[in-house]
Amino acid sequence: MSERIEQIGERLEGIALEVVTLEAGDIPALGNLMNALEALGADAEGLDDPRFLQVAGAVKGYLEKLILADATDLEPLEEGVTALQAFQRDLANGETPQPDVSGVLQKLGKAGTGPQTGAEDAGAETSASEQDAAESSEEPVEPLPSAADLSEEDRQILQDFVGESKENLEAIEVHLVNLEQEPEDLETVNSIFRPFHTIKGVSGFLNLKDVNKLSHSAENLLDKARNGDLKVGEGIIDLVLESVDTLKRMIDEVQEGLDENGLLTSTVDIAPLVRKIDMVSEEQEKWGDSRVGEILLRKGAITREDLDGGLERQKIQPGRKLGEILLEEKKTESKEVISALRDQRRYSKGHVDLQVKVDTVKLDNMVDLTGELVIAQSMLRQNPYITGSNDQKLYHNLGQLNQITSGLQRIAMSMRMVPIKSTFQKMVRLVRDLAKNSGKEVALEMSGEDTEIDRNVVDELYEPMVHMIRNAVDHGLESPDEREAAGKHRRGTVLLRAFHRGGNIVIEIEDDGRGLNREAILEKAISRGLIPEDHKLTDVEICNLIFHPGFSTAEKITDISGRGVGMDVVKKAIEKLRGRVEINTRPGRGSAFVINLPLTLAIIEGMLVRVGKQRYIIPALAILESFRPSREQYSTVEGKGELIQTRGSLVPLVRLHTIFGVESDFEQPWEGLVVAVEHEDRKMCLLLDELLGKEEVVIKSLGGGLRNIKGIAGGAILGDGRVGLILDMSGIFDVAQGNGRPSH
Amino acid sequence: MAIDTSMKVLVVDDFATMRRIVKGVLKQLGFSNIVEAEDGTTALDALKMEKVGLIVSDWNMPKMTGLDLLKAVRSDESLKETPFIMVTAEGQKENVIEAVKAGVNNYIVKPFTPETFSEKLEKVFG
Repeated sequence: MSERIEQIGERLEGIALEVVTLEAGDIPALGNLMNALEALGADAEGLDDPRFLQVAGAVKGYLEKLILADATDLEPLEEGVTALQAFQRDLANGETPQPDVSGVLQKLGKAGTGPQTGAEDAGAETSASEQDAAESSEEPVEPLPSAADLSEEDRQILQDFVGESKENLEAIEVHLVNLEQEPEDLETVNSIFRPFHTIKGVSGFLNLKDVNKLSHSAENLLDKARNGDLKVGEGIIDLVLESVDTLKRMIDEVQEGLDENGLLTSTVDIAPLVRKIDMVSEEQEKWGDSRVGEILLRKGAITREDLDGGLERQKIQPGRKLGEILLEEKKTESKEVISALRDQRRYSKGHVDLQVKVDTVKLDNMVDLTGELVIAQSMLRQNPYITGSNDQKLYHNLGQLNQITSGLQRIAMSMRMVPIKSTFQKMVRLVRDLAKNSGKEVALEMSGEDTEIDRNVVDELYEPMVHMIRNAVDHGLESPDEREAAGKHRRGTVLLRAFHRGGNIVIEIEDDGRGLNREAILEKAISRGLIPEDHKLTDVEICNLIFHPGFSTAEKITDISGRGVGMDVVKKAIEKLRGRVEINTRPGRGSAFVINLPLTLAIIEGMLVRVGKQRYIIPALAILESFRPSREQYSTVEGKGELIQTRGSLVPLVRLHTIFGVESDFEQPWEGLVVAVEHEDRKMCLLLDELLGKEEVVIKSLGGGLRNIKGIAGGAILGDGRVGLILDMSGIFDVAQGNGRPSH
Repeated sequence: MAIDTSMKVLVVDDFATMRRIVKGVLKQLGFSNIVEAEDGTTALDALKMEKVGLIVSDWNMPKMTGLDLLKAVRSDESLKETPFIMVTAEGQKENVIEAVKAGVNNYIVKPFTPETFSEKLEKVFG
C-alpha cells in the first residue's frame, strides 16, 4: 500500500509542476495533464478513502472545461492539485487524512459551470475563438440570401455541395435498407449518421440555415442511436427517410436558386419535421429505462404514496410485479399499467432480448436432426415390443419423450423464422415512390407484420412482392380523377396483410382499384394465341391467364412496371418456394393477390405413393387429381406416346416404374392408379401402384453422387424408418420428354 | 502573424465541399501549398510521401477516423511532431477531449471563420 501511495505522490508532483507552467488554451499541455490525471485515477483506484478519487475526478472535470474553453481560470486547478498533494502526504504519514475537501470541490465544480461565464470572464484568449465559432452559426460567415450576390468561388462551392450532398443522401437510403434488417448494426448507423453530420457541417458554412437545422436534428437522433440511447425501430427509420426526402427537396431548391440566380432559401417548412425528430429524441430520454412505477407516477395514474406503499408490499412479497400489486389494491386501472409497460418497453434499451448470431448451416442441421429425432421417436412407438408391452411406466415415459421432441421441433423450426416486418417496411418506400411517379394518391395499410416466416422464404419473397405491389399501384389503382368519377375516395388503398392459415402463411396484396378486366384479358390472350378463340373459360381461369409468360395488360408502358418481367415471374418465384398464388377480383372494387406459402422450406407436404417396392413422395402442390383410368380413357398416339384422356383433354402418361427402373405390380394403366400433376402449365399423368396417404416429411438432400439425379428433389425418412424419394416435377417432365434420364 | 505560410498543409475530409471550404480559409490566410486527402488512410499515405507542416483533419470519416489518424501520426517516429488541428462539429465535446488526450495541437469547431482559424494557428505555432 505504501508503495502505491508513494507512486501517487510522484505522479502528483509531476502534475503539480505542469500545472504551475500551464497556460490556458495550451491544448497539448492540457492533453498531457489529462492523461496524467487518468493514470493517477487508475493508481488511486484501490485507496480506501473515496474522497481522494472524488477530488481527482473533480480536477479532471475542471480540466475538461479548460479544454473546451468553458473555463479559463487556472486557480481552481492549482488548488485541486494542492489538495490532492496534502491528501497524499497524510496518507503517506499513516495519518487519517482530514482535509476539508468541500471547499475545493465547490470551487472546481462551480467555476465555469455555465459555458458562458468562463468565456465572458476571459474575454480574449481561448474562449473568444470558441465564442466566435458558436456564434458564427447564427451570424453568417458570408450572408448568402441570393445566388446573385455570390462570388464565383462561393458559387462553385455551393454547386459542389449540392452534388455531393445528393450523393450522400442517396447512400443513406441504401444503408437504411440494411438497417431495417439489422437494426443493431452500429457500423450501418454510423454510415447513416456521417452524411447528416457532414451536411450539417458544410451547410453551416454556407449559411443554408434550414438545411443545417434539419440535418442537425437528424444527426442528433442518429447520434443517440449510435450511442445506444435509442433503439432503432421503424419509427426512427421513417423519420430518417422523411429527413432524407426533405433535405433532397431543399437541396434541389438550392440548385434552382443557383440556376436562376435567385434566392437560396428554402420554401419547405421544416419546423414540423424538426419538432417530430426532437420529440422522438427527447421521448427516449424521458422514459428510457424507467421503472413502471415511475412511469405511472409521472403519468399521474398513481400518487407517490401509492407507489411507496406498493414498493413496500413488494419487499414483503418479492417476485411479485409492482403492476399486479397496484392493481390488486385498486390504486390504478389495468389499462394504465399496460400502457405504462408498453412505454417502458418502447423506450427502454435494456430490455432487448439478447441475441446470438448463428450460422444458418448449423441451424439447418439442427432442424434436420430434430426431424430425425421425431422420426426415431415414432419408430420407437411403432416397435412391436413396445406396442405389445403393458408397462404403464414405459408409456408414460414415451409420452414425455413425445412432448419433449415435439417441443424441440417447434423451437428448432421457430429459430429459422423471422417476422415479415422488414419486407413489408421496404414496401412503404416503394409505394411512396410509385405513387409519386404515377401521379396517384396511394395509402399503404399493413397488418400482421409480426407474422413469422422462414428466413429463406423472406428473402425470396421480396422480388415477387415488389412486382405485385407495382402492379397494384400501376395497373390496379385508377388515377385520382378516375376514382372520383367512380365515386371512390381520390386516394387509393393498397393493403398488405400476412397471417397464418392452416399450416400455411398467407400474404395478401389487395388494392381497391378497378379490378381485373376479364374481357380485356381474354381478348389479349386470344390475340396472342395463348388460347383458342372459342375456348370456354371460367372466371378464375381467365384471371390466371395473367400468369402466362409474356402477358401484360398495361396499355402504356410506364417506367415502373410493364417492362420485361410479367406476372409469370411472380408465379414461378412463388412456386419455387412451394407456394401458390391466387387472384380474387371484383370489377370496379379491386383485386387481391393471395400468396399461400408453406411455413418452412424444411418440410414438404406430399402424397406418399408406392410403385412396386419403392415409395415416392409427390409434392402436394403439383397434384391436380388422382383416379383409376378406364380402358377407354387410355390411348396411344403416334409420335406422342401414351395418353390419358381426362377432363376433356389428352394428357401424356408417364410410367414411374420405367423412369426409375423398378418393378411394378401392374402393367396396364387401368389396373393401377394415375395421379395427374401440373408443373409450369404442363400436365401429365403419373402411373403408380398405390396411394399410401398424405404425409409431411422433412426434406433431406441426397449426398454426393446422388444429388444430380433428374426427377428426384431429395429424400425423406418415413415413419417406419425407411427412405422415400421426393419427386421433382420439373425433372420428371424433362425425363419423360426424353431430355434426360435418371442415372440408375 | 509569424507563421510560415509556405509550408505544406494537408487537409483531410471525406466531403469534397468541406475540403474546398477549408482550403478557401487557408488561402485567405496566405497558405498556398495545400494537399488533400479524403480519409485517414490516404492521408497517411500522403504523409509518408511528402513532408507536411500542418495537418487539418475532420473527425468523422469512413475507413479511418480523424482520431485514428491522429493516433497513427503520433505513434510514427517520423511524423509525430507534425502539428495537427482537428475539426469537430459543435456539441461533440467528448470527441474534443479524446483528441486532446491523443495529443492534438488544437481543435476547431465547425463552422468557423478565417479569424478563428488564424487564432488557432497562432496558438499552435506561437
